[in-house]
Amino acid sequence: MASPSAPWPTDITARDKGRTLEVAFDDGQTIRLTAEKLRVESPSAEVKGHSPSQRRIVTGKENVAIVGLEPVGNYAVKIVFDDGHDTGLYTWAYLRELAG
Amino acid sequence: MVSRDEVMAALKAVPGPDGRASLPESGAVSGVTIRDGKVFAAIAIDPARARAMEPMREKAEAAIRAIPGVAGAVVTLTAEQARGGAGASPGDAHQGAPPRRHGRPSEPLPGVKHIVAVASGKGGVGKSTVACNLAVGLTRLGLKVGVLDADLFGPSMPRLFGIHAKPGLAPDGKRLIPIESFGVKVMSIGFLIEEGAPVVWRGPMVISALNQLLREVAWGELDALIVDMPPGTGDVQLTMAQNVPLAGAVIVSTPQDLALIDARRGISMFGKVEVPILGIVENMSYFVCPHCGGRTDVFSHGGARKEAETLGVPFLGEAPLDLAIRVNSDDGRPVAATMPESAQANAFLEIARRVADTLAAGAPGARPAPRIRILD
Repeated sequence: MASPSAPWPTDITARDKGRTLEVAFDDGQTIRLTAEKLRVESPSAEVKGHSPSQRRIVTGKENVAIVGLEPVGNYAVKIVFDDGHDTGLYTWAYLRELAG
Repeated sequence: MVSRDEVMAALKAVPGPDGRASLPESGAVSGVTIRDGKVFAAIAIDPARARAMEPMREKAEAAIRAIPGVAGAVVTLTAEQARGGAGASPGDAHQGAPPRRHGRPSEPLPGVKHIVAVASGKGGVGKSTVACNLAVGLTRLGLKVGVLDADLFGPSMPRLFGIHAKPGLAPDGKRLIPIESFGVKVMSIGFLIEEGAPVVWRGPMVISALNQLLREVAWGELDALIVDMPPGTGDVQLTMAQNVPLAGAVIVSTPQDLALIDARRGISMFGKVEVPILGIVENMSYFVCPHCGGRTDVFSHGGARKEAETLGVPFLGEAPLDLAIRVNSDDGRPVAATMPESAQANAFLEIARRVADTLAAGAPGARPAPRIRILD
């Protein structure tokens, strides 16, 4: 179970015509991720495969934009990109991880 | 044999996405393939207009079907845009992607305050009986309650609530009206299929059926909607936990170790998708002999309470293994309603009170959903 103290997002906002995703957490930290990074690092099995060896390198996404954000249960957000990719579920922890 | 040219010629009769140029002229048609007389095609559209484009899709299908020699037609809408800067790269093969599903996942249900899952790690622990009596118990506390029987593989709410009618259509002609029994609004897949008939569906069909039962039912104003989940922790259960905006989950277990191991699995599944655990109910907690009055702890009484303590989740109460509960449940007379003064009913009422208190106070670990916005 996720520890009760794990940071929880309060605001998830797509900005700059969908080029940036801004996530504010309840511990005061706000992270910004580019749509390109999110697209390339999509947690979807279409990108990650089912083991590290199946991982696909996604390239040519410099200009990709976010066109949709859909909440998934209590734990993740589904990001819809303008290239049609919409199978990645980004958990709160994963978004934090991407921000490094 | 049908040719691609014939398909395109037939589509000339259908106006394209802009409503003026025909489909072939619009350039939106792609991926026309023909196999064994069946025609597949995709129409690229603006995803924001997917719903408005549905009639066009149907017309295109009808036009293709009307070609002599065509055995079937499948036309899908795709969100593929004109190939711009984002470009097509490997892994982009989204041509012919299905149109947007109706009912977006985990959107809140209007009018429903709390959705509570009743789940168990394994079958046979009396989950549905607990769910039924919990719902009735909540109505006795003055709450407006509904039950969604999501145990698609073994729906038991029609029997537990003694419902034999079929649900009617709401005046809007789209939604089903849940059937009220003992003050609870009940909706079950069991109303729509014969009792005893198996539901042989795979995951995606289950999910779309669940979404319909959840969203295309005229629930009205509810304080709590109890969802009777299928037992276990497989794909279907996980997807349900993801798709239904749950306020929390009640885990039902018998007290023996074997069941508790599975209960733990259930708790950890809900934890993975950040659904708070409202608590554990110990069912078939003990057995009081109707002949001699002696008590037997058939499944080792108290195991679930101990487990709850170990896992740091609330213990909601215990219900006995009892002949009256069994007989009345099978007859569609929930003891919480039909034997209101009995010890058995009290057990369920106690559980209902704890659930209601937890919902009012906010489930432990529950945090508000983040605000999600798209700005320019």
